[in-house]
This record gives sequence, C-alpha cells and structure tokens, in this order.
Amino acid sequence: MLPELGLVCSNDLDEVLGSVDAEHVAYAGGTELVPAMGLGLRRPAAVVDLKRVEALKGITTDTEAGPVEIGAAVTHRRIAEHPGVRRHIPVLAQAAGRVGNARVRSTGTIGGNLCFAEPRSDLACVLTALRATARVRSAARGGRTLAIDELVVGAFETSLADDEILVSITVPFQPAGMSYWKLQSYERPTLGVAVVAAEDRWEITVGAAVERPVRVVLAAGDSAGLDAFVTGLDIVTDLCGPAEYKHSVLRERLRTILEEPGP
Amino acid sequence: MTESSAPTSVVIEFELNGRRVETLAPVRLTAAELLRDRLGLIGTKVSCGIQVCGACTVLVGGEPASSCCLLAVDLDGTEVVTVEGLTRGRELHPVQEAFAAANALQCGYCTPGFVMMTVALLSANPQPDRDAVREWLDGNLCRCTGYAPIETAVMLAAERTAP
Repeated sequence: MLPELGLVCSNDLDEVLGSVDAEHVAYAGGTELVPAMGLGLRRPAAVVDLKRVEALKGITTDTEAGPVEIGAAVTHRRIAEHPGVRRHIPVLAQAAGRVGNARVRSTGTIGGNLCFAEPRSDLACVLTALRATARVRSAARGGRTLAIDELVVGAFETSLADDEILVSITVPFQPAGMSYWKLQSYERPTLGVAVVAAEDRWEITVGAAVERPVRVVLAAGDSAGLDAFVTGLDIVTDLCGPAEYKHSVLRERLRTILEEPGP
Repeated sequence: MTESSAPTSVVIEFELNGRRVETLAPVRLTAAELLRDRLGLIGTKVSCGIQVCGACTVLVGGEPASSCCLLAVDLDGTEVVTVEGLTRGRELHPVQEAFAAANALQCGYCTPGFVMMTVALLSANPQPDRDAVREWLDGNLCRCTGYAPIETAVMLAAERTAP
C-alpha cells in the first residue's frame, strides 16, 4: 500500500484551484503519480482529483482556422479519436494514439504528460513543434499563458508554482509539410523528431533524447546549419542507447525527411 | 508533512461485474489492492506496478486500465469488469475459449490481463487486423509463449465473435 494519503475531490474548478499546494497535488490519470508515490519519490499529504472537473475535460474547435483547445484532463485516447483533432492536427492525433500502451492512453492525460515533464514524451515534442501554448491558473494570482518551453523547463521540471495547475493547451492547426517520427523500443520513445518542411524554411524539433524538446528554424536547404544543429544537441545516454547512436539515427532520419523527400 | 484536512478514507460505490459494491476505501489503496485483497477477486494479477506489463488490466467504463496505477477511489461511480466477470456460470467467455483453443498460455500469470485487453480491443474494433492486435497488446508482457499463439487466439476470438 501507498503511504497515508488524503483525497480532495470536487467537480468545481475554483474549489480544486483553492486546494492545490505543495502538499495537495494535482492528480488525474495516475500514470505517473501513483508509481512515483509507490517508489517514495513523491510524498504528498493528499491528491486533488482533476478528473471530476468538466471544465478540464473539453476539446473545442471554435473557428475554421483554429486553434483547438484541449482541457488538461483529456485522455490520450480521446485526443487520438477526436474528429476535429484528427482533421486539423493529425500529427497530434497520431502521436496521442501511440503514447505508452492502450491502458495509458485510456487513463493518462495530456496535462499529466506535460506536467510530469518526463523527457521521453511524444506530446511535448509535437506540441512544441506546433507552437502550442499552455493556460495555467492559480487561485491567488489568476491565469497566465506559457509557451510549451516556458512550461517544461527541464527534465521532470516545470515552471508551475505549487498552487498552480495546468488548465488547457491551445494548439494551432497543423501547418503544411509537418510530420512526426519516432524511434521506440520500449514503453517510451528513444527519439522523437517533428519537422515542418516549408518552401523557404525547415523547422525541426527534437524530443525524447534531450532533457526537453529543442527547436531550430533553418533556411530550407541549409545542410551545414542542420549538421551543426544535430552536432550541437546535448543528447542523453540512457538505457535506450548511447548518445552517439541517437545522434547517428537522428542525422540519417533528418537527411531522409529533408533532403530525399519521397514522390 | 503539513496538516491536511482531506479525508484519508472515502465511501465509494461502483458496479463490479454487474453487482453493486459499496465500500469504505482508504485513499492509499490501489484499485488492484481493493479487488484482490479486500474483495477476493484474485484473477487480476499484479506484477510491474508501473503500467508496463498489463497483468493487472481491468475494464473501467469499458476501457482498459492498469488497476495497479489507479487508486481504488477512482472506481467511484464507474462500471468495472475483471476477468471473473467474463464467465457465465461455468461457461467461458469466447476470448477465454480462444486462448485455450490456441494454447495461448503456459504459466498463465499474464493471461487475465491479455484476456481483458483482448475484450477491450474487440469491443473497440471487432474485426482487427494483425497490426491492430499488436498495437493493442504491445503493452502486455508474456514471458512464456513468444506471443505468436496469443495473436492467433485474438484473431480466432475475433472470427468467432464477428458480428
């Protein structure tokens, strides 16, 4: 059994916001937090259940031009199956449909994925590449809007204050020429690569092999710049493989996507 | 730890294999611990504890979930099906029949999880191809069979239960 634990459960967002602090931590799918508590890595006095708050569970597409707003407590499976996401941001629907395994997708949430800030995250990479923004709120100071790289500031580290929660993610429609590819042998990706290949520029975001997603914008055709970017990346050696291996796969993959486009 | 007025036990109510259950659940209890240790349903197995192996798979609201990583209080208001809920009397569920027919088990420890995941798959996609089967079952680990008989069993179950 886990250590002694309390529960705050409400369907009211304001009540939930009023409850969150260093000892009362946000909880939704349990994918990350329950194992972390089991291992003794987190010892909160209580969990604050976000799953019962309808305001955190919506997916809305307001206009023809976007963006799509996704509540923090929306599961990966719902994102993968949502007609609006599939139509306007297929790269996100596909990535969400391959997160973890079928159980993780049914219970785990987009908010939990981002806030745990596990470096090996498909969604952090894809959302960074899409230039999505995060809406966070606290009872004391109201709301603020952050870019994904302002929310996820390091490995397992976010800029959320103890009394703040992530409320929603705002995702622009997918730009033309965008793709996401990942290398994966285990439960989490070893390497994720999101590319937007426009006529005049290449936008490349690398995730999973680095502490947090790294994006670069290059002029289309700038092979030297591409090479310098890959070489300069601080790629992590871990149980998924040595940094040298990941560098090598990444270099080849980018060459394939950008310099040998298919028919 | 600071003072907290949050309750550490909560009365929960849910439907378990078609029967209503009401119980006082400590918040620290996982769903797997509630099912196995307090309600005696030991068909659900616990192995990795981190959602990697699939042995503890149950259906919550028709969707597969790792009961080792859910809190028991998360079951409040839901419909839960465990492997014990599949049989009718002494009659096996078609997915269980197919696993037996295809020799899709050896030690059997992972089998309830595979069976529950297959039930979830066939409910979402009654006619899966082998790629879909692999995609759904790639989060369940078996250290005996080498997986080929399991894939065969799932295809057989799909064939037998085709609408």
